[in-house]
Amino acid sequence: MPIILDKVSHIYGADTAMAVRALDNVSLVIPDGQFVGLIGHTGSGKSTLVQHLNGLMKATSGSIYFNGEDIDAEDFDKKRLRSKVGLVFQYPEHQLFETDVFADVCFGPKNLGLSKKEVELRAYEAMKLVGIEDAYFYQSPFDLSGGQKRRVAIAGVLAMKPEVLILDEPTAGLDPKGRDEILDQISRLKRETGITVLLVSHSMDDVAKYVDRIIVMNKGGVVYDDEPGEVFRHCQELEKIGLAAPQVTYIMKDLQDRGYDVSDEITTIAEARDEIKSYFTRLGAARKER
Amino acid sequence: MDMGIIKVKDLIYEYIRRDEEGNVEGITTAVDNVSLDIRQGDFVAVLGHNGSGKSTLAKHLNAILYPTEGTVWVDGKDTRDDTAVWDIRQTAGMVFQNPDNQIIGQVVEEDVGFGPENMGVPTKEIWERVEESLKAVGMYQFRKFSPNKLSGGQKQRVSIAGVIAMHPKCIVLDEPTAMLDPKGRKEVIRAVRALNDVERITVILITHYMEEVIYADRVYVMDQGKITLQGTPREVFSEVERLKELRLDVPQVTLLAHELRKEGFPMPRGVLTNQEFADALDRCVSEMVQ
Repeated sequence: MPIILDKVSHIYGADTAMAVRALDNVSLVIPDGQFVGLIGHTGSGKSTLVQHLNGLMKATSGSIYFNGEDIDAEDFDKKRLRSKVGLVFQYPEHQLFETDVFADVCFGPKNLGLSKKEVELRAYEAMKLVGIEDAYFYQSPFDLSGGQKRRVAIAGVLAMKPEVLILDEPTAGLDPKGRDEILDQISRLKRETGITVLLVSHSMDDVAKYVDRIIVMNKGGVVYDDEPGEVFRHCQELEKIGLAAPQVTYIMKDLQDRGYDVSDEITTIAEARDEIKSYFTRLGAARKER
Repeated sequence: MDMGIIKVKDLIYEYIRRDEEGNVEGITTAVDNVSLDIRQGDFVAVLGHNGSGKSTLAKHLNAILYPTEGTVWVDGKDTRDDTAVWDIRQTAGMVFQNPDNQIIGQVVEEDVGFGPENMGVPTKEIWERVEESLKAVGMYQFRKFSPNKLSGGQKQRVSIAGVIAMHPKCIVLDEPTAMLDPKGRKEVIRAVRALNDVERITVILITHYMEEVIYADRVYVMDQGKITLQGTPREVFSEVERLKELRLDVPQVTLLAHELRKEGFPMPRGVLTNQEFADALDRCVSEMVQ
């Protein structure tokens, strides 16, 4: 179910002296099954945009279509939209509240009015998808580690069986291993279920490693919308808007400046390693010929 | 006795876990036999995964927590000495993770003046201190702003100014950049380095971001309450596999050099900057050409 944004603007405090244009004429298409990274510095409009996608905020002007239907139409079922577009907020573990992990994950589907059996089945599946082991099911969510709590919170959204999963900074505050674990899990989840994933992140290294497409926002507008390699080629422009490319992109640029014949569309360590290896192979072959 | 600004000897910190009825469930040793000696003017970084005990250690350095066993001296004063607690907190200021929890003033300059005012500093001197502190973190032009109009990085710099207005000899920062975007992180780290370089304030930086650590004089890595690895950044980051076992990471440039070394490239261990990397690769090329 693709999401289409057509010239969406959002103005906070419209018609007051304090009016702030948080989204400025944003047009986007998010097709099914894509893994999209959304980046931008604090205040660039990422969170505002994301909250429009499941109808938590209403556009001041422009339209949003979910599966071809205008979500602001009178007869549109917003409750259904929210079960189809799952939003995991920043620090979602702060929203855990039940006495045990299983009950917490059941809360969402229970509110959809499903049968007890269906609710429990969904909760079970969701917990398996995020890698929570059975031993934790009946523990208090508050006794878990930070990374585990976050998984429980994500499972709570997955149990609603969304078709689009939006995660706002899912790795904030986690240690490096915890960051990798959560992102690997999300990436696997995406492969296994074919769900659309929108990842809001500050970490360029993470985004580069996982997503198919990056949308860069600044001052409420979309500045770049392309594959990671293509977007990170603009590292100077990205710096001007408070962002940066992954460190390895800069390493490759430095090598280019020193006259190395290597690509500058490199965004991950593995790509850089292979590119440097192939450069040396080419160098060796050239020497043999002489 | 020649003692550093902060000396920790055989520190053990235990807390008792209780269930809902208040019965003792067990005892957790959060800090397990840690000794440190930090000299005035040092820049020290503490790394460790979530739950490794680094924040618990930090809270001992300005007498928020007291040792179960062992001793902590701040500027020669034992933190268990109740009469010294205000001196200690003035000597070792603390900055926490969430900027929104640390700012209380309605206007930036009032917030920064709060600490010295509580210490009974004369009004004229308070204003002098506010001015110099805000200048030290590059926030002087925002002195008349309301803190809620600032970005996360700016708020965090105001928090730091609030601490340095108390003229501490030492500043302890507990993941000060965890909630910031890349630009905010850079601003904060730049401000912290300037305090260390220019004002010679001792810095103890606790972080998950490996690239913030490369400027430190000394790095301590914690695991299960113990210090398991220590040395200069270069020494510590030479241990790529060990750090991964500890749920940590190394900077991308260090990792790329490590990956190439595994492939047989004669790259040195513990490469810290892009420049070093390119120089090392230049040497690989010239070795090949000979």
